[in-house]
Amino acid sequence: MRQKKFEKMGKGFILHLFLVMLCVLMMLPFCWVFSTSLRLPGESFRLPPSFFPTDFYYQNYLDVFSKFPFARFMLNSILVAVTVVALNALVSTMAGYSFARIPFKGKSAMFMLFLAGMMIPSQATMIPVYIVMSRLKLVGSLWAIILPAIINPLSIFFIRQFMMTIPGSYEDAAYIDGAGRWQIYLRVILPMSKSVIVMTMLLNFIASWNNFMGPLIYLSDWNQMTLPIGLRMLQGYMGTGSIGIILAGVALSILIPTGLYLAGQKYFLQGMTLSGLKS
Amino acid sequence: MKTMSVKTNKKPLSAFQKRKKADNLAGYLFLLPALIAFVLFIGGPMLLSLALSFFDYNLIQPLEFVGLKNLKRFIADPQVRIAFLNTLKFLVILVPIHCILGLLLAFAVSRVRSGRMRSVYRGVIYFPTIVTTSSVAIVWVYMFGTDTGVINYFLRQLGGSNVPWLTDKNVVYLTVALFSFWKFIGTAFLYYFIGLQNIPDVYYEAARIDGAGTRQIFLRITLPLLSPTIFFVVVTNMIGVFQIFDEPFIITGGGPGTATKTMSLYIYQIAFQQMKTGYGCTLAFSIFLVILMMTLLQFGGQKKWVTYDYE
Repeated sequence: MRQKKFEKMGKGFILHLFLVMLCVLMMLPFCWVFSTSLRLPGESFRLPPSFFPTDFYYQNYLDVFSKFPFARFMLNSILVAVTVVALNALVSTMAGYSFARIPFKGKSAMFMLFLAGMMIPSQATMIPVYIVMSRLKLVGSLWAIILPAIINPLSIFFIRQFMMTIPGSYEDAAYIDGAGRWQIYLRVILPMSKSVIVMTMLLNFIASWNNFMGPLIYLSDWNQMTLPIGLRMLQGYMGTGSIGIILAGVALSILIPTGLYLAGQKYFLQGMTLSGLKS
Repeated sequence: MKTMSVKTNKKPLSAFQKRKKADNLAGYLFLLPALIAFVLFIGGPMLLSLALSFFDYNLIQPLEFVGLKNLKRFIADPQVRIAFLNTLKFLVILVPIHCILGLLLAFAVSRVRSGRMRSVYRGVIYFPTIVTTSSVAIVWVYMFGTDTGVINYFLRQLGGSNVPWLTDKNVVYLTVALFSFWKFIGTAFLYYFIGLQNIPDVYYEAARIDGAGTRQIFLRITLPLLSPTIFFVVVTNMIGVFQIFDEPFIITGGGPGTATKTMSLYIYQIAFQQMKTGYGCTLAFSIFLVILMMTLLQFGGQKKWVTYDYE
C-alpha cells in the first residue's frame, strides 16, 4: 500500500518535472526578447546570452517610436482588428442564431455550404478577391484587409453549436411576451451567449493581429502598414545592427493580444468548452 | 368560462402559426450578411478563380482566353512538383506533431491534480499561439543563426558543433517543425484539453474499479471518446498546414534554394510578384482540389474510427 503511494507520488513528480521543463523552454524565447530589448545596441548579440535583463537601456523602446512610425503601425493594427472583430461578431452571431434557432427551408444545405467554406484555402480566393478590391479602388486601403475577414465559417460554427444548447423555453417566454425574432436575438440569445462570443472575438482579434498575407498583398505605404509587415520593415532597416530596437518592437506587438487574452481567459475557456465539438 | 378557455388557447396557437410562416423569411434575413460576405469573399472568388484559370491576365491588360494553356503549363512546370513535394513534406512532419504531441500534452496536463498548476501549464502552452507570428518568427531567425544564434551557442557549450539551422535544406525542416511546435501546439492542445474535460468522470471511475492502468484507460476510454475531437483537429490541421505560408516566407524565405518553397509561396510569387494572375489561379484551384479530396477522404474514413454517440 505504502509502496504504491510512493510510486504514485513519483509519477506525479515526473509529470510535474516534465511539464515545468517544457513550460520554461516555451517561455525562454520571450525572456530572451524582453531582456535583449533592454540591452545596449553593442550588446545585442552578447554571448553567452542572458535570459534575464542585465541592463536597463529603455532607450530602445523610445527609439522604436521616434525612429519609425511604430505608433502608426500599432494604431493601424488596432483599427483593423477592432473593426474586423466588431463586424465579424455581428455577422457570425446573426448567422449562428439563424442556424441554431430558426427552422427554415434549405437550412441544412446552407449550413453545409458554410461548412464547405472552411475547406476553401485563402490562396484559392485571394487572387479574385484582389481583383475585386482593385476594381473597388481599395488596394492600399485598410478596408482591403478588413472586409474579407468579416466572414469566418469557423466562428459561425462555434456560435451555432453554443446557441443550440440554450433551452428553447427562454425564447418561448420572450415570444409570448410579444418579442420578435430580432428582439429575442438581441435581448435573450446574445446575452446568454457571452462566453462563445468573447471566445470568437478573441480568436478573430488574434487572427487579424497576425494577418501577414493581407498587408503583404494590399499595403505598400508606411502610413497604412500594420504591425506584422511593419516589423519586417523594421528588421530590414536595422539589419544586424541593433536588434535591441527590433526586439523592443516585437515585445510591444505581443503586449496587446496578451492583455486581451488574460482579460478574456475565463470566457474563452467557457466558450470553448460549451461550444464543444460534438454533433 | 368556455369561451375564455378557447380564447386563451387560440392566442398562442395563432402566434405560433404566424411564427412558423415568418420563419423562412427570418431565417434568411438573419443569414443575409453572412451570405453576402460568403459570396463576395469565399464562394464567388472560388468559382472566379476556376474561371480565370482559362485566361491570361495580369491585372492591367484585358482578359485573354487561352483555354487549357495554363493547365498544360501546370502539368509541365517543374516548380509545381517541387512546391507540392515541399508542402507534402510539411504535411507529413507537422500534422503528426500537432495531432499526436498535442494530444499527449493535453492528456499529461489533464492528469495534473492541482487545479492551479493545471491552469498555469495550460496558459503557458497556449500562450505562444496568441502572439504575432511574424514578430516571433523574426526572433526565431536570430536565435537560430548559425554563428551568432543563442541555440548554437548552447550546443557548442555542450560540446556539439554549429548546426546549420537555416542554411541546410534538410535541417531547415527541423527548424520550422520546432517553430511550429512552439508557436501552434497550443491550438491542438486546447481542443484536446477541452475534449478531455468533456468526458464524464464516471467512465474513468468505472475503468479504475475494473483495474485498468493509465495506458489502458488512455487507449480504451480516452481515445475512442475523444475521437470526434481528434477528427476535428486532424482535418483542420491538414487544411491549415497545406496552406503554410508565414513560416517559410518569414523564417526561410522558401530557401535555402527551393528547399522550403511551398505551394502558397509559389502562388504568391506567380500571382503577385510575376503578375501572372491566370496561372496563379490555376495553382490556387489545384490547392483547393487537393484539400477537398483530402477532406472528403477523411470524412469517408471517419465512420471507421470516430464515435459520436456515447451518452
